[in-house]
Amino acid sequence: MPEVRRLLPDPSGTRDPVSRERLLERGFDRAMARAFSMSPDDIIGEVKASGIKGRGGAAFPTGVKWEGVRSAGGNQRYVVMNADESELGTFKDRALLEQDPLGALVGVLIAAHAVGAKKAYLYIRGEYREVEMTMAKALETLRSSGWVGTGAVDVEIRRGAGAYIAGEETALLNSIEGKRAEPRVKPPFPTVKGLFGAPTLIQNVETLANVALLFAHDVDWFRQFGTEDTPGTKLIGISGHIERPGVYEVPFGYPLADLLRDEDLGAGVRGTLGSVLLGGAAGTFLSPDEVGDSFLDYASLRRYGASMGSGALMIFNDTVKPVWVLKKLAHFFADESCGQCVPCRIGTRRVLEMLDQGGLGTRVQDMRELAEAMRDASICGLGQTAPVALLSILDRPELQNA
Amino acid sequence: MRDEKNAAVLLRIQSLLRDLGRERSQLLPALWRVFDEYRYLGPEMIEAVSRTMNIPYAEVYGVASFYALFDNAEGHRPIYVCTDVMCALAGSEELLKASEDFQRGTTVSVKGAPCLGHCDAAPALFDGRATIRRATKEALAAAIRGEDHA
Ligand SMILES: Cc1cc2nc3c(=O)[nH]c(=O)nc-3n(C[C@H](O)[C@H](O)[C@H](O)COP(=O)(O)O)c2cc1C
Ligand code: SF4
Ligand code: FES
Repeated sequence: MPEVRRLLPDPSGTRDPVSRERLLERGFDRAMARAFSMSPDDIIGEVKASGIKGRGGAAFPTGVKWEGVRSAGGNQRYVVMNADESELGTFKDRALLEQDPLGALVGVLIAAHAVGAKKAYLYIRGEYREVEMTMAKALETLRSSGWVGTGAVDVEIRRGAGAYIAGEETALLNSIEGKRAEPRVKPPFPTVKGLFGAPTLIQNVETLANVALLFAHDVDWFRQFGTEDTPGTKLIGISGHIERPGVYEVPFGYPLADLLRDEDLGAGVRGTLGSVLLGGAAGTFLSPDEVGDSFLDYASLRRYGASMGSGALMIFNDTVKPVWVLKKLAHFFADESCGQCVPCRIGTRRVLEMLDQGGLGTRVQDMRELAEAMRDASICGLGQTAPVALLSILDRPELQNA
Repeated sequence: MRDEKNAAVLLRIQSLLRDLGRERSQLLPALWRVFDEYRYLGPEMIEAVSRTMNIPYAEVYGVASFYALFDNAEGHRPIYVCTDVMCALAGSEELLKASEDFQRGTTVSVKGAPCLGHCDAAPALFDGRATIRRATKEALAAAIRGEDHA
């Protein structure tokens, strides 16, 4: 089955991605008109019926989140688009914003209308300066349509400054507030107590782009692809030892092996497949056999303790030792830990030390205990999931000596 | 001399931040404006931001020092070479090594960086404004020379 193109526009299109013509071509004017003719409750009902789940990693049902923000008290509310994308091997939000900047923005406006927010922020990774410029132009297009600005929703771009942890939702809120981007203890969740203490909806770029598509069409159209449990399509960033690295859109439920093999997708592994790291730095290593019988769907991947996370699919041929990758990951986490809590600050360093000392063969029990302590006692997802890739290798002896 | 320089920095920063709100939530945008001007956030810049925005020095320093992109030495322009997994497989260590020669006698400082989000075109470079995809030694040398012509 070939690649699907819904989130990613037709590459043969010639319209300027930030232009009003593109807006019309993509049906986003229709999406806005339809959503704004609906009551907030009906919008939220439709998002729920579509089955859209968060694409930033946690796969939380989007409509349920919107309902949480809408029903929270107070009269000030915010929407935040999370474009901090700094997860290792992850570049799908960049590709999406380059190719279709208006989609995610229209999603922001619909979300703001549904939850009752008058102000939205686009938090863009500091290294994505070109994306930021594109988004500023796209905002102008929407401003001249009267959809952004005073009287409508005020939208402000925020530039990150080189901190992976700022992508964690509560750290991102602190960053916008002008504080250090350190995660907050949850609960309270941002839906109840977020930006400046007000209920806040934080959503990944790709999630919001899905919302724009949903309202440009309808629930039946949306559910034409994907599975009953996870409808729609997913952007996957393939990199490493693959003939055609890039971002591809496929339906949920797609066979992993086909992503690597299909001519208009990965088009084949360079060399002999050694392993795959799925989901980013806190992802799971899969062996070639596991890749062969896995599908892009949460239940299928769960059999192997894996998740698609941010949609990163890193391909390694048999010249790459997974232990080398693990050391890179351990460095990444030790550098990017915000240092706020002890299990993560110390734990990420200890993992690195053990790997440097060759602990994979000798310190298995110590590593498992450390991983458990980090999972149970860290404040945020970084510390909780930092040892996941390591554990996946401990569970797969066949990849240890590769 | 020192006082004069600091006074000049304060004046310049006050004018850079003139149209920016004074609320705490404008601190990160303020730091970016200052960094884009000086490519450096030294004590005199922190002091000037602190006075202009009416935020304690320690708070401004705490925020500025949190972010990797603000970590840069005075008088240098940073160029980032991604040394993360995919770019390392595509030869970024050699790029970093070659840069030692290229940057001698220039005001550029070449640094290793975590994943830049361009793994589909490894190895990737970031020159502070733009990304260079599928970077070669020649591209890196050109990026470094660009500084000297500026
Ligand atoms: C360390 C860390 C980094 C994260 N970085 C990002 C990111 O760059 N982009 C993103 O959308 N979500 C990121 N997340 C997930 C967010 O916390 C949050 O769950 C997400 O933005 C919610 O949006 P969604 O429901 O649309 O997925 C990160 C989480 C953690 C723990
Ligand atoms: S788990 Fe790590 S990154 Fe998260 S708050 Fe604790 S120290 Fe910071
Ligand atoms: S690993 Fe270098 S850009 Fe992602």
